[in-house]
Amino acid sequence: MIDSPEKILVPQSELLLSPHWAEVMDITPEAEGISTYWLRFTDPVEQETFRFEPGQFNMVYLPGFGESAISISSDPNDHEKLGHTIRFVGNVTRAVSRLKVGDIVGLRGPFGTYWPMREMEGKDVFISCGGIGLPPLRPAIYHIIRNREKYGKVTLLYGSRTSSDLMFPKEYESWRNANIDVEVTVDRGDANWNGRVGVVPMWFYQFRIDPRKTAVLTCGPEIMIRFVIYEAMARRVPVESIYVSLERNMKCGQGSCGHCQMGPYFICKDGPVFRFDELQSFFNVEEF
Amino acid sequence: METKTEVLQELQKIPWFKEIKPELLQKIVAIAHLRPIKLGEILFREGDKEDFLYIVIEGRIALDIFIPHRGKLRIYTVEPWDLFGWSSVTPAIHQRTAGATAVLDGLVVAIDSSKLRQACEEDHELGYLVMRRLMNIVAGRLLVTRLQLIDMFASPEETNAN
Repeated sequence: MIDSPEKILVPQSELLLSPHWAEVMDITPEAEGISTYWLRFTDPVEQETFRFEPGQFNMVYLPGFGESAISISSDPNDHEKLGHTIRFVGNVTRAVSRLKVGDIVGLRGPFGTYWPMREMEGKDVFISCGGIGLPPLRPAIYHIIRNREKYGKVTLLYGSRTSSDLMFPKEYESWRNANIDVEVTVDRGDANWNGRVGVVPMWFYQFRIDPRKTAVLTCGPEIMIRFVIYEAMARRVPVESIYVSLERNMKCGQGSCGHCQMGPYFICKDGPVFRFDELQSFFNVEEF
Repeated sequence: METKTEVLQELQKIPWFKEIKPELLQKIVAIAHLRPIKLGEILFREGDKEDFLYIVIEGRIALDIFIPHRGKLRIYTVEPWDLFGWSSVTPAIHQRTAGATAVLDGLVVAIDSSKLRQACEEDHELGYLVMRRLMNIVAGRLLVTRLQLIDMFASPEETNAN
């Protein structure tokens, strides 16, 4: 196992081992088949004391259906509610799609490693993500906005299949107002779309990044991540400055079941956020 | 009417042109002109005769293909310092395979394609540099096309998903 100073695992606590109940306060439809569920622990003390780091996830539990690992997509400094942006693709998440405001779910967490917000202070930050890869990065964006003076140039390069698949479009303006360069692209545009058309990795060349002081954060489809990393490395960004968040069939959240294994790692326990030098030796190996 | 000096100044802002010897760059400048573009302006349509290679200085150009019963689909946008209309320099089809529409006001450099081909034939050093640059562009477009083709954001049938 490779040691990494950024890898700080959250101590086990009772909240990690058994689900605690939370009420659905609101539901925000984001795109077809994707909504953000705003949750609040039924125990006010739990709600007040719950803390997470940008990039971490919770296990969302529905009795009778099971658990699903879902990244926390809300502001880490908002202690009133927790946001989970969920794509309805499996047994549990399809059941989640039938939830209404006022319904109750179980939560275990927070789990996993997180974006290296403190290590990146003083650096430029280049966030490159696609599709549902933006929700795990939104807490990092909120953190940067709250501590804007601690970071250099910040760029968000975000892509989706079409303009209607973009996550959180209403927030881009406020992010731009916080001096974040928000650049959006779609794979396919119609005649009403005047923004960029093309894939995320290929827009890298447009941005004059200083590889000596830029950290790259990426999350999204693995095929996109692979090419983002190619482009970052082609621009001489050191592998130690590239961070990746992976999602792979996480089931238990504790590295016990083995479903999310990637090489020597369990994504749920050793990730989901990795520094790329940890993954490099087998990241682009067929069948991994 | 712009002068050739203005064309030269615009091209020299682009890193690739800084690498070209002045005498070779002058050959390109001699067959190029500046063309201001307005939002919504159509530079060419599918099926048009190929005549110019364009380099975007400012603005954004959308490349689109008309699909019967679906209308125009935007397949790529060309941003500053990128070029489009490259197939006019390697004419296998002799007509535009996509349309080009300005989606922002801007400025492009238009290079006469047949004269550029002729200049490349006459000066193989220039020809090598131009074709090497076009090869990079085509390779990039091929990668974009592959990634669009595989539909990175498709939701596979995730039998193990929760």
